[in-house]
Amino acid sequence: MATRAVSLPVAGPRPTLGVALLTVATLGLLGLCVLLARLAQSSAQAPVAGWPWLLGVAALFVVGAAGVRQVAQGESRAAKIVPAAAALVLFLLSAEALLRAYNVPTGLIPTPTHIAQALWAARTVLLLDAYYTFVLEALLGFVIGALLGLALALLAVRFRFLERGVLPYAALLSSVPIVALAPVVIKAVGLGWSSKTVIVAITVLFPVVINAVHGLQSASPLYLDLMHSYAASPVQTFREVRWPAALPFIFTALRVSSTLALINAIVAEFFGTEGHGLGFRIQIEVGRFGLDIVWAAIVVASVIGITFYLLIQLLEQRTLHRRV
Amino acid sequence: MTTAAPDSPLAAAPASRSRRASNAGPMLAVAALALLLYWPVMLLANRGVAQRALDSGADLGCKTALACATQLRNPVIPAPGQFLEGFRALTIPPTAPTSAPYNMLVTGGETLLGLSLASLLGLILATLLVRSRSFERATLPWLIASQTVPIVAIAPMLAVLLGQYGVQGFLPKAIIAAYIAFFPVAIGMAQGLRSPDPLQLDLMRTYRASPGQVFGLLRLPASLPYLFTSLKVAATAALVGSIVAEISTISFSGLGKMLAENSRASDTVALWVIMVYSAVLGIALVALIGWLEKGVTRWRPAR
Amino acid sequence: MTQVSSTRPIVSVRDLGMVFPVPGGQTVALQDANLEIMPGEFISLIGPSGCGKTTLLRLMADLVRPTSGSLSVNGETPDAARQKRAYGYVFQAPALMDWRNVLSNVKLPLEVMNLPREGRDARAREMLKLVGLEKFERSYPWQLSGGMQQRVSIARALAFDPPLLFMDEPFGALDEITRENLNLELLRLWRETGKTVVFVTHSISEAVFLSTRVVVMTARPGKIEGVVNIDLPHPRGEDSREDPRFFQYATEIRELLKKGHA
Ligand SMILES: Nc1ncnc2c1ncn2[C@@H]1O[C@H](COP(=O)(O)OP(=O)(O)O)[C@@H](O)[C@H]1O
Ligand SMILES: [Mg+2]
Repeated sequence: MATRAVSLPVAGPRPTLGVALLTVATLGLLGLCVLLARLAQSSAQAPVAGWPWLLGVAALFVVGAAGVRQVAQGESRAAKIVPAAAALVLFLLSAEALLRAYNVPTGLIPTPTHIAQALWAARTVLLLDAYYTFVLEALLGFVIGALLGLALALLAVRFRFLERGVLPYAALLSSVPIVALAPVVIKAVGLGWSSKTVIVAITVLFPVVINAVHGLQSASPLYLDLMHSYAASPVQTFREVRWPAALPFIFTALRVSSTLALINAIVAEFFGTEGHGLGFRIQIEVGRFGLDIVWAAIVVASVIGITFYLLIQLLEQRTLHRRV
Repeated sequence: MTTAAPDSPLAAAPASRSRRASNAGPMLAVAALALLLYWPVMLLANRGVAQRALDSGADLGCKTALACATQLRNPVIPAPGQFLEGFRALTIPPTAPTSAPYNMLVTGGETLLGLSLASLLGLILATLLVRSRSFERATLPWLIASQTVPIVAIAPMLAVLLGQYGVQGFLPKAIIAAYIAFFPVAIGMAQGLRSPDPLQLDLMRTYRASPGQVFGLLRLPASLPYLFTSLKVAATAALVGSIVAEISTISFSGLGKMLAENSRASDTVALWVIMVYSAVLGIALVALIGWLEKGVTRWRPAR
Repeated sequence: MTQVSSTRPIVSVRDLGMVFPVPGGQTVALQDANLEIMPGEFISLIGPSGCGKTTLLRLMADLVRPTSGSLSVNGETPDAARQKRAYGYVFQAPALMDWRNVLSNVKLPLEVMNLPREGRDARAREMLKLVGLEKFERSYPWQLSGGMQQRVSIARALAFDPPLLFMDEPFGALDEITRENLNLELLRLWRETGKTVVFVTHSISEAVFLSTRVVVMTARPGKIEGVVNIDLPHPRGEDSREDPRFFQYATEIRELLKKGHA
């Protein structure tokens, strides 16, 4: 069946040209940044106007974008990876140059280098914060919520009454914003980290229950009939048919929840802590315009979030023996 | 179509409708059970606080911890009477600027404005993603990564920033809501714009359709179901965004402002009432999108 | 209805070849194909899967460009013919748009081609009547059976009155009875409109029943093995299948297909 879309002729890929353009853009932007840093150090006089720098950065950015366009052609591995990496570098360098050129106060929008410096300077504090937010709150809450969710789903599938009586509420409650839940739970459980764990567990619970029930019921009637014809026991039917059918659904919920867990732990911390956690750090530092620390905390949270997500995805691939 | 339960091989619309009807009984039973359990759980949760208050010699107008559990000023879980009283105080009159319904509408408005902005932005971004492969390769990994990034954590900072640059009132919260919501919308829309069958694309080519026609007559309508699915995800996120934004800016209205005030005043009963209102708002937003979806995608089989 | 007119061919294929690059080599989808189709003919392309039937049709329709040889449609390049909207294409699947009802699905080409707004509804209704679906114009695709959907897609291909109709296994997914009904309807349409049809099929009896000529193709590499003239009288009906010549032609085609297989 030749049903592929029509491929129109495109200009042949010219990766060498692309690499050259990217090199020019990167070095140029780097040069601008160094120049701006030098100027800021040496001259105490009034800063030069911003717009010539803006023009320069814009021109180099366009050159870089053209380079990205060239290297993005074709189906090679490089064509798939290099553009993203180049885009990030171009973006960071341009931001650095523009923020410096316009003398944006670091208290307001810190440059990437300032963020990197803050990250290094505050590393011990941030790591401790991350321990509280991720390990004690997000991860623990995730595990508790997922296990409870699975247990509830099994019960709901076993007892139709529960499915009909509880599941609709679960679906309804999953669209409740956690910011509304957080203050109440924190007042009830206390300011310590465990209140955030509870909040995360609650927010993980709903998607897991809903997806797991859906998955457990997704087993094909044909397979169920087949097991029936073998006179298989309920346990066998569960192990051979229902559980494998449910796994992809459960993993989807886990993947989505993995990012939600961290985000919700951070947001929950906005409503009260005992002075630890990335959310607490962000809130405190925003209050005193320490935005470089705020960004550093966000970078830490992002790295953890992406790593956690990828780990769950890896687990999924291992378990389901397939590429996702 | 939803997967049929194994014991009811006939799925489709009528079956699912009858199933929903039969849910009412169990749902009511569960609600009744929850209400029944509420009393003992509430008494248990509040007893400790009441005991401590009594021990410290406070005059609560009651003797035993159990009796006091329903009359605490700051209960862990409010007694039904307290809750109803708080509910009444925050609801009537509904037009007062301090009432929860009024503030719920403000937050709802911000969120809807934010969602509209997000849809527009998401559509533009999705179009770029579908149109240009180099754009896709340069940005898509970061867009996906950004979904795992706690974007809402940026909200307080963004609120401060926008305030510095003179963006005030309704708008900063809507912008933050949009900022949080546009990623899922863009990803969903890009997927939707790509969803047409290759045969349908070939068909348009045999008609010598212009790129604009392919977009307007094929890609855009095909992407609508995807748009609504992602909007439902985005709605809750945007609501969280606007509430967080309200908390972190100098706000004069909105559920976020009420949360912040009552959290500071440790008014637990009010927090419970606001939680219920936020829940209603969240559910209403998703329902509104579902209703819009039904209206716009009327061609689809009823589910 | 015999085509003895000495007009120029409507489709002319000369030494046509199509090679697809595939990971670690290439697939010769079509090799040295030669074929002339006269206006008003009903041509069937028959052959095993992968022998290049779809490819040949897509080449004629300018959905892919050949790697060697040349072809002309309506005396022009396929691209120019497509620009002039010279043909309608019916795909293997109905490829209807879910969000349009039956009537507006048939109107789609009229909208794309910016034909006068007033005439569109009438024209689309006329086409629906031709395929016997006038009662379903308000239905949405999911409410129709597969056979009905395919009839809508035929109406859609006819709506802008192209002189040429390319059909790629349009009835492949249908049951035998529906298929035979649609075959009769298609023949009636062809007689009434005088269009040229190029029809791809897997089925020998379908090819014999419908065509004025059957082009037999074989695989690896895809090429034209032979052409069989079907000299059965028109209009054809159920009794045509009983005609001894029907079996003769079928046997002839089967032999050609076997020859390619050996
Ligand atoms: N776009 C394509 N890319 C690579 N190979 C293709 C493509 N289209 C068709 N082919 C190959 O060309 C051969 C002929 O395909 P096709 O014309 O679809 O055969 P048929 O329609 O007769 O079954 C097959 O081997 C098929 O795999
Ligand atoms: Mg084919």
